[in-house]
Amino acid sequence: MSDIRLVNLTKSYGEGNAVSEVNLEIGEGEFFSLLGPSGCGKSTTLRMIAGFIRPTSGQIFVGRDDITALPPERRDIGIVFQNYAIFPHMNVAENIAFGLKLRKMPKAEIARRVEAALKQVGLVGYDDRYQRQLSGGEQQRVALARVLVTEPRILLLDEPLSALDKGLREEMKFWIKDLQKKLRITTVYVTHDQDEALTMSDRIGVMSKSRIVQIGTPQDIYERPKTLFVTSFIGHSNVMDVTVARRDGDMVVVSLDGHEMSARGAADLQPGTQAKLVVRPENILMGAALGETGPRLAATVLSETYQGAIVRYRLKRGSQEIVAERQNQAHVERFAPGTEITIGWDPGWSEALTA
Amino acid sequence: MSVTGGRIALRRPAFSVAEAFGGFRLWWLVLPAFLFFLAFFLVPLVSLLAISFNKTVPGVVTLTTAFTLDNFERIFTRSIYYSSILRSIGIGIVVAAIALILGYPLAYLIAKTEHPGRNTLLMILVLSSMQLDMVIRMYGLMVLMGDTGLINSALIWAGLIHEPLPLMYNTFGVVVGLVQVTLPFMVLSLIGIIRAIHPSLEEAARSLGASRAEAFRKVVLPLSMPGILAGSLLVFALSISSYVVPALMGGWKVMVLPIHIYQQIAESGRWQFGAAVAAVLFVTSLIAVFVYHRAAVWTSGGRT
Ligand SMILES: Nc1ncnc2c1ncn2[C@@H]1O[C@H](COP(=O)(O)OP(=O)(O)O)[C@@H](O)[C@H]1O
Ligand SMILES: [Mg+2]
Repeated sequence: MSDIRLVNLTKSYGEGNAVSEVNLEIGEGEFFSLLGPSGCGKSTTLRMIAGFIRPTSGQIFVGRDDITALPPERRDIGIVFQNYAIFPHMNVAENIAFGLKLRKMPKAEIARRVEAALKQVGLVGYDDRYQRQLSGGEQQRVALARVLVTEPRILLLDEPLSALDKGLREEMKFWIKDLQKKLRITTVYVTHDQDEALTMSDRIGVMSKSRIVQIGTPQDIYERPKTLFVTSFIGHSNVMDVTVARRDGDMVVVSLDGHEMSARGAADLQPGTQAKLVVRPENILMGAALGETGPRLAATVLSETYQGAIVRYRLKRGSQEIVAERQNQAHVERFAPGTEITIGWDPGWSEALTA
Repeated sequence: MSVTGGRIALRRPAFSVAEAFGGFRLWWLVLPAFLFFLAFFLVPLVSLLAISFNKTVPGVVTLTTAFTLDNFERIFTRSIYYSSILRSIGIGIVVAAIALILGYPLAYLIAKTEHPGRNTLLMILVLSSMQLDMVIRMYGLMVLMGDTGLINSALIWAGLIHEPLPLMYNTFGVVVGLVQVTLPFMVLSLIGIIRAIHPSLEEAARSLGASRAEAFRKVVLPLSMPGILAGSLLVFALSISSYVVPALMGGWKVMVLPIHIYQQIAESGRWQFGAAVAAVLFVTSLIAVFVYHRAAVWTSGGRT
């Protein structure tokens, strides 16, 4: 059963919409990310779920209950903000006890739970510290402890890692994910960082210009992008102009400068129309790595960039530049600039999209 | 206005000619301000305080070395004087409280108004009340609140009252006048502090289970304390030292300390006694500053 359900959720400010007709179902215990560029409406969506913004239209359900009109304090939803929002006039213990005191819990019970929460986030002994005595990472742990100690039904996180430096960000990414898994708490995570979304999420909703454009598992989103926007926003892609020749079962046959080739493609691609063929750099095969099927195209190596674990090639095919990446493994074939080679790809790893 | 200002890291001066010259030049820049402060504030104030320890001789303003506490003894033994001290303090506290109650919502509104046009409009509203001279503003209030003023005329015309209400020439009138004068100072003290409270703090409190009122009481209000204290101190100090407002709105019937000072010095030429009353007023203000400081430390929970 779904834990959160958004139905045609819309928020408009004056002329433009910040969020347009978002429909979404998030399962119990699921880690769901809203991923998209800055200004696409992620925070507005999250803040409507939290109850800080009243939707212009649409509904929000938690379980069976319509919570659209409930004030934030009656939603049983915890939120961690980008700036952590630690109360500066309270110490760590008082911050964490805040929600428990409001619930009129006995003092001894509060003390016990605060200690347990501090232990859970690895901040034992930090009780008496104030916000200004905490690092960014510590503030984030306090913010999480403060929310989790009240055992909310749903956890919302708005770009919680963006204020941390890179090393800590990597560490916290896995730490948050592990904690979420252990607690099995339904989580909505907002980020503009594709790496965060791909590594942490059970599913991702990609947003663009106030709308959700694709929902799927990280693998779906990365390997089967439905639109050019998703393709370009997540990872790097080679995008080639093709013409749709005909449909062929699940696949579609397209023509690239007269070379016909098979590709995965949306059902709405009409024969004779222009389309875009998308292939990820790591799926461009070169030389001896070429498989049985798929296109064979002549290309020239423009440059080879050594990046440690991977080697990156800039290739020229016809008038277009193509980027290819390969794992730098033992006995891997290397190509010097200027070499004429044959390239191709597995049709199952190429995607024809509406232009 | 903030009591919890950031720490300023002082750079250790380097021993270079240019630096020393720069520092030397900086001293020259503050010198005029320092001299002005010395000549036109410190010297008169100290002489006034000094003269209060001389025996009162009407018409004489010469400072002598004959030390006496007669003036102070008179202030603290005659009820007309010591009751004025209490009246001044009482009015100061009441005015500060009213200005806070009226000013806080206004300051909150201005602080939370993001629309630039509306924000500017509200600020102009607050600041415009400070543009006119206080005397002119008091005459405006008198037109409103006098026995034949707008309020009384309207109420009599409506048949709600038969005799005019005593709105002026009493403590009520003085309090209204002082609130009118000091309200902008309260609002300006509060705006910056309230604006510095990040909205996410209030939201965090709400989602942790606090109602709007609880979030205000437990988060916004405690964090507004530096502004509340600074504004209250400012309003209190302005109120107890105001002469124009009690003179015009109180019609010399509300005897507060500045009225005594004016009467003693300007009317009776009793400089020494007037100076003693001024000294009491000055010390009262200093005590208020001390109370403010203690309260600031206390409300910040002992954190700097
Ligand atoms: N209070 C507001 N008034 C007007 N426009 C707003 C307001 N809040 C957000 N917006 C607009 O709505 C859009 C989405 O904002 P937001 O949800 O914060 O984006 P994101 O979190 O994805 O960066 C942006 O274009 C933003 O300018
Ligand atoms: Mg945002």
